Amino acid sequence: MPDALLDGLRGLVGPANVLTGIELGPYVIEGRTPDAAVFPRSVAEVVGVLALATEAELPVVPWGGGTAAAVGLPAARAGIVLGLSRMTRLVEHEPGDLTATVEAGVTVAGLQSALRARGQWLSLDPPDAERATVGGVVAADASGPRRHLYGTPRDLLIGVTVVTAEGAVVRGGGKVVKNVAGYDLPKLFIGSYGTLGVVVEATVKLRPLPDAERLVCASFDRLKDAGDAVRALMSSDLVPNAVELLDGAAAAALGAGAGLGAALVVGFDGLDEQVVWQCDELARLVTSLGGRDPRALPPEAWARLAPAARAAVGQPVAVMSFALLPTQVTETMEQGANAARARGFHTAWAAHASVGVVSAAIAPEPARPEPAPLAAVLAEWREMAHAGGGRATLEWAPLAVKAQVPVWDDPGAAGRIMQRIKREFDPRNVLNPGRFVAGI
Amino acid sequence: MAHTVQAQPPVAAGRLALHGLSVEGVNQCVHCGLCLASCPTFAELGTEMDSPRGRIFLIKALAEGRIALGASTAGHLELCLDCRACETVCPAGVPYGRLIEAAKAEIERQRPGGVLRRAFRWLNFGLLLTSPWRLRLAATVLRAYQTSGLGWLVRRGGLARLLPGTLAAGEALLPPLPPARERAALPPRIPAEGARRARVAMLTGCIQSVVFGAHNRATARVLARNGCDVVVPEAQGCCGALNAHGGDHARALALARHTIEVFEAAAADAVVVNTSGCGAHMKGYGHLLADDPAWAERARRFAASVVDVAEFLAQEPLRGPLGPVPMTVTYHDPCHVVHGQKIRSEPRRLLAQIPGLSVVELVESDWCCGSAGIYNLTQPAMATRLLRRKIGHVVATGAEAVVTANPGCILQIRAGLAAHGATTRVLHIVELLDQAYGSASRGGASGEASGEMGRGSASRGGAST
Amino acid sequence: MAALAEFRKASLRRELESIVGASAVLTDPDELLAYESDGLTMLRALADFVVFPTSAEHVSAVVRLANREGVPFVARGAGTGLSGGCLPAEGGIVVSLMRMNRVLEVDYENQIAVVEPGLVNLHLSWAVGRRGYYYAPDPSSQQACTVGGNIANNSGGPHTLKYGVTTNHVLGLEVVMPDGEIVWLGGRTRASAGYDLVGVFVGSEGTFGVATKIVVRILKKPQAVKTVLAVFDEIDQASAAVSAIIARGLVPAAVEMIDQLTIQAVEDAFDCGYPRDAAAALLVELDGLTVGMEAQAERIVQACRDSGAREVRTARDEAERQLLWKGRKSAFGAYGRISPAYMVMDGVIPRTKLPYVLRRVNDIVAAHGLRVGNVFHAGDGNLHPNILYDPRRAGEEARVLAAGAAIMRLCAEVGGSISGEHGIGLEKADFMPFIFSPDDLALMQRLKNAFNSSGLCNPGKIFPTSKSCAEVGPAAYRPHAIEEKGLAQRF
Repeated sequence: MPDALLDGLRGLVGPANVLTGIELGPYVIEGRTPDAAVFPRSVAEVVGVLALATEAELPVVPWGGGTAAAVGLPAARAGIVLGLSRMTRLVEHEPGDLTATVEAGVTVAGLQSALRARGQWLSLDPPDAERATVGGVVAADASGPRRHLYGTPRDLLIGVTVVTAEGAVVRGGGKVVKNVAGYDLPKLFIGSYGTLGVVVEATVKLRPLPDAERLVCASFDRLKDAGDAVRALMSSDLVPNAVELLDGAAAAALGAGAGLGAALVVGFDGLDEQVVWQCDELARLVTSLGGRDPRALPPEAWARLAPAARAAVGQPVAVMSFALLPTQVTETMEQGANAARARGFHTAWAAHASVGVVSAAIAPEPARPEPAPLAAVLAEWREMAHAGGGRATLEWAPLAVKAQVPVWDDPGAAGRIMQRIKREFDPRNVLNPGRFVAGI
Repeated sequence: MAHTVQAQPPVAAGRLALHGLSVEGVNQCVHCGLCLASCPTFAELGTEMDSPRGRIFLIKALAEGRIALGASTAGHLELCLDCRACETVCPAGVPYGRLIEAAKAEIERQRPGGVLRRAFRWLNFGLLLTSPWRLRLAATVLRAYQTSGLGWLVRRGGLARLLPGTLAAGEALLPPLPPARERAALPPRIPAEGARRARVAMLTGCIQSVVFGAHNRATARVLARNGCDVVVPEAQGCCGALNAHGGDHARALALARHTIEVFEAAAADAVVVNTSGCGAHMKGYGHLLADDPAWAERARRFAASVVDVAEFLAQEPLRGPLGPVPMTVTYHDPCHVVHGQKIRSEPRRLLAQIPGLSVVELVESDWCCGSAGIYNLTQPAMATRLLRRKIGHVVATGAEAVVTANPGCILQIRAGLAAHGATTRVLHIVELLDQAYGSASRGGASGEASGEMGRGSASRGGAST
Repeated sequence: MAALAEFRKASLRRELESIVGASAVLTDPDELLAYESDGLTMLRALADFVVFPTSAEHVSAVVRLANREGVPFVARGAGTGLSGGCLPAEGGIVVSLMRMNRVLEVDYENQIAVVEPGLVNLHLSWAVGRRGYYYAPDPSSQQACTVGGNIANNSGGPHTLKYGVTTNHVLGLEVVMPDGEIVWLGGRTRASAGYDLVGVFVGSEGTFGVATKIVVRILKKPQAVKTVLAVFDEIDQASAAVSAIIARGLVPAAVEMIDQLTIQAVEDAFDCGYPRDAAAALLVELDGLTVGMEAQAERIVQACRDSGAREVRTARDEAERQLLWKGRKSAFGAYGRISPAYMVMDGVIPRTKLPYVLRRVNDIVAAHGLRVGNVFHAGDGNLHPNILYDPRRAGEEARVLAAGAAIMRLCAEVGGSISGEHGIGLEKADFMPFIFSPDDLALMQRLKNAFNSSGLCNPGKIFPTSKSCAEVGPAAYRPHAIEEKGLAQRF
């Protein structure tokens, strides 16, 4: 990196907020070290950083809490990490409007605690909420178990301010809960992994805190029976806020007990009487389908649900996520585990079962130090998902594996539209170049 | 890309009219389009000129002189069933029926059609329908045609194919006419049974009296059972509904005046009608004659006394004893009952009182069957499409009989079911009531007029608490 | 010149007929007249052709032909839109999707349905209703409007307060791109690779292509529904009640407000049971579990009473509930009973600004010598002031437009938006600078370029005319192009 540029950055945000050299440790991705990490404090500073980087055609990697930094391929060239951790203002919260506007660097946990004090919450529970930032959650389209009832960022984000690669400050959407004026730009930035612009501010819909909430777990000897219970639950009158299906390994990691075939974990919220009635109904439903011992889990278990698969295998060599038709979840989990076992791997699986979103972590069997190639298993998994009309993403894997197994599904003809959008939004290709689908 | 936008053109000052009939009602249409999906022709074709909103647009453009009455415009307006389903859903209260009648009158004036069509119109509107005796004479000839085997020859021998389209369609729909004794006129007075409730005058109808004399007899019996002195004015003729719908405005006025005169003389509490097209039309006499100072008030008063037979009977619980009629039926709403007169719950309430009867709801029960007066003769292609749609829904119910309340619908649905090879019967609601009374007097009485048949009409949607 | 144009038209007609069939092409000027506007009659334009495709391949072939000939094309559903969004391009092709109206597939276990764009919104709920499911977005025109039209406008409806708008219920789209290519965006699962193209396509007002197959979520009908009618003697009380309900930690399925003028119109239409002398009424609906329904309803009732409601009652049965909703959903059309024309605004404001904005709206309209009826999604802050007028009176239309612009500006000033569900279309294109900066609009234009580089697909919509583009930001009010009587050119 030219010294002039570094000086320019230091002048812009202050020398203390430009990291270089050894200080860059936390920002190394897959062994690739950026030239610098810059931490602007205002939208104007973000504009300045981007202007300098674009001028120099240096890649820019927007960085929130870093929880999803390893998703996708790292930038082909080293560049600047644009950290948003100093932009943490709660810009506006009017409880009567059930909306809040925050700067992108606010952590989800931080936002929730501010909202909770006023009886509200953002109905989104991404993993690692202590580190994950609102901007990062938007860019990575992160969500958690409660998405069953409350959806994902695309259901909650109503407005967004981004700084484009060319340094324009653009607002999409607005501050009101219903808005169809102009194109729905917020949707475009959700899950765009920082390839189209830097999210600097977000406006979200809020909900009142429920009177009560409870998480219930039932044990099953067979995964298939647990899957049947999910289907029965979905066609019942119950209104859960989370429907999680875990295989034995993930159930153990959650703390639901060892040696289970599977666990079904269901959340309910609402008035006290509603939660109590639904827990009773659920107990009746699962026991009629082979479930055992329906019991309440402590509230801390919520945060362990999403990472359960990953936690179960200790040191995973890869994590793959799937979007499937809900009816294909159990079959995919079973077949996927079998396919891995046949090649000498052990796996753990956890699913937001009702919406068909599954996460699988994989590691070599300790007894088989030289397993068959991991790539073969992952390719098989992906084919399995595609065969049923589903999708697969290689969420995490060493670079060597990513070189053999694509991170992203091929978006097909839609990929050309995406490439055109990227060219229109970032003509000089400075934002996270090469990280995303279709070579974007 | 040039994108031309016109502002609303200045609207011609003064009253909008076609053929002297006001179409000011077009201004009530705010173009919201809520009527579109309720229109059978739009549902079939998907073309907006064949939707109520589109037709209102055309009528407005015609009245304003923006367009001339070309063949295509006339075609779209003539394709209207005049079922008035759009009126039922129209929040703006556009008097669509009046608009389309004015438009059709204008079409008749400007484009009276070919020789055959004019001959058909003259035969029907001018000759037969204006005179009961001529109609009866024609019926005698027709019955001879049907029983002689000539009809069979025409149909099987392929002669029907040689007839012009509308006549061929008419041939297929011709009901087997009942023998002369059933076509005989009702006695002038049928006395009430039990406590006297009202004195009612009955319209026996022109075609109805010939084709469905049995319905009239059943109507009279059921009314008498329910405490009505029934009078049947002998001098009555056609109410003029077919003329009005067909654009023959002048004769429609004359027939209306005659009808009013005849029924006024009967001095009844109500004029009961069992043919929906007639009932709906007669309820509109007040509007029809509004511009005639000598008749306006009389017409209004008369119109207020007109009542559909189901509407009348449903005012009080049916008088017992009603016997069981153990069968499954479905109910088809004739357009001019449900849309023309807004009578929807009454026939269902009556059916619910018949012991042993099970009623299943018909999908699109309030959609036109394609009969629509003489529509099945003038627009056979669309009529056939709508009939197929109706028969499909009827067959899907699995009912043994379709109950309805209008001779046109009965003929049309019967023809459709026959063509489909279905054995489902088609009954007028008074026939079914009459049957229940007959069943009671034969000794199968449950004695309870208030049945427990409400289950048939299942409620829709989630439970309301 | 004219002969050449006629010759070209005739040959184009033959080509269109060879694609969709002779009975599926309209060219008769009298017939084209029926397509000159949508639900907004103030704007009119005549197409040269209306075609009725029955497959994506038809649509694709028509679009390719239009591209070859450089002819603009506009997709159209039922034409119930309220912003001129499907107004034909003068001399262009209208692609009517009304003959593509099938439910192709319903997968109850996975709670999805695949439908064609011309399917009437309510018919989808009917189709799945027997199995206990429904399609949640319920625009007031749902008895006539199409799912494809809902996609274009990202339509809302009363129950979107709890269930979200169209975009929250669409998983995948088969789309004929503006160049004629058939592409799948999204699919049947909850995530797909890459950018959320479904998310940007929904609400793009027909400028990104033509959706030919639509994968939507269907929901299970709630166990119980409760509808509360609260009657107020002052509009401010009703506004306050909306905030009071939210403050009690409730998110009802719907909170609708209907004012006196509107009540009178709908009561004339259908005798729905709204008291004619009320200044305003709130229609609040709760749905969900039977357990707890009473307790929640009690909170609603209390919130309304505390805000000064003179009467609060719950619908006795399904019939009464349906009747109340029929009145609400027919309100726009019912204005036809008290006025020959109306212009509906579609502003959105933060809920807490409701009392202030309603007062201001009434003042603005009165200052222009006009009447206004309000019926709207109060829970969402989505206003629908309906300005009543008579187009036959000289100058009245111009005053309507001026008042409308002032209301839009007011919504923008309080931090709101100029459209909650009706779309920008042509009507509000020039108001876009009220809420978007030149940079915002420029980025939207780039997004449009990525989909629709030729600009032939529904031209002239959403973006302000170049003239007003130059004076964006908090510029002074500029007369709307259509205020200038007669013809106006848009580029």
